[in-house]
Amino acid sequence: MIATNKTLIAGMTFTIAYAVVYTICTEVNLPLVTYHPVIGEVDFLWKPERRGPAMYWYGWMLTSLIAATAMAAIASVTPETWLQRAITFGSLAAIGYLVFYTLALFVYDRATVELEFLKSRWLSVIAAVLIAAIVGFFLPAKWNERIWPGWVCAVPLGALAVLGYYLTPYFTR
Amino acid sequence: MAFWTSLLIIHGLLAVALLGAVTHQTVAVWWPVRKAAGSFVTRFRAVPSASYVWAIIVLYVVTFVIGAWIYTQYRFTARLALEQLRFFKTVGVFEMKEHIATIGLILLPAYAAFWRQPLSAEYADARKQVTLLLALVIWANFLIGHIANNARGFGS
Repeated sequence: MIATNKTLIAGMTFTIAYAVVYTICTEVNLPLVTYHPVIGEVDFLWKPERRGPAMYWYGWMLTSLIAATAMAAIASVTPETWLQRAITFGSLAAIGYLVFYTLALFVYDRATVELEFLKSRWLSVIAAVLIAAIVGFFLPAKWNERIWPGWVCAVPLGALAVLGYYLTPYFTR
Repeated sequence: MAFWTSLLIIHGLLAVALLGAVTHQTVAVWWPVRKAAGSFVTRFRAVPSASYVWAIIVLYVVTFVIGAWIYTQYRFTARLALEQLRFFKTVGVFEMKEHIATIGLILLPAYAAFWRQPLSAEYADARKQVTLLLALVIWANFLIGHIANNARGFGS
């Protein structure tokens, strides 16, 4: 399966980029606006709750919308081979980060000495980026010729898995 | 309260229409009929799947917008009650519903691109996959919404 035109590439990139940015926004809490439903007021960027709960979901969606629209516009003028490489690299790095950080926390919990550095996310990020770069370099050239349409399902499903994992405290109380 | 209840019923009815449309399309695209329609199941599979695309997109967006509007009321009424009753799993699955709904919404540009006429044979597999994922998203959201609505009983 290969992509053939700019509209299709822009549509696919929007879906993929939005899923990634939205997941990051929920984790790091980066809303463009904060809505206070009790008083019906909207604040710019993140604000704490006032007189009732604050809602960030709309803000996360707006942040992701801006980022994904920009990325889709850039993708429509970018060679497909670069896009495919970028998405492969990003996916490998995301999987690598999850594996490394989980392993680091596992070792930290069971170590008999204090290994504080394992709690740093940056260590896992650097390791994941390195591994993604190495694996990406050795992938067959044919794989990087065109953008793979399967990313449209694979990336949102991965995002849903991560988002679901963040919600586990609701199910373990 | 009557306003929000009416809006919730409209949201539910639109969701039923969306569920029917996407289920029809998914079955038709994954299990197409090879000969003339006969039984109910065969007729169900025999619909022209491409004709559902814009109906599904419009229904999804309208249902999503109404749901997002109702969510503002849910956040400081129903959810607080659910937390006080310690229905944390119900709150958790509803939190998941907001994420699933967002993922469904962002599938639409790719879904529309894959279903753009004339249909490309190259994208037949991608079209089937994204349609199935969208159907799963809609079914999941429908069931979660139903569970959350039933947690305290309608109108309680």
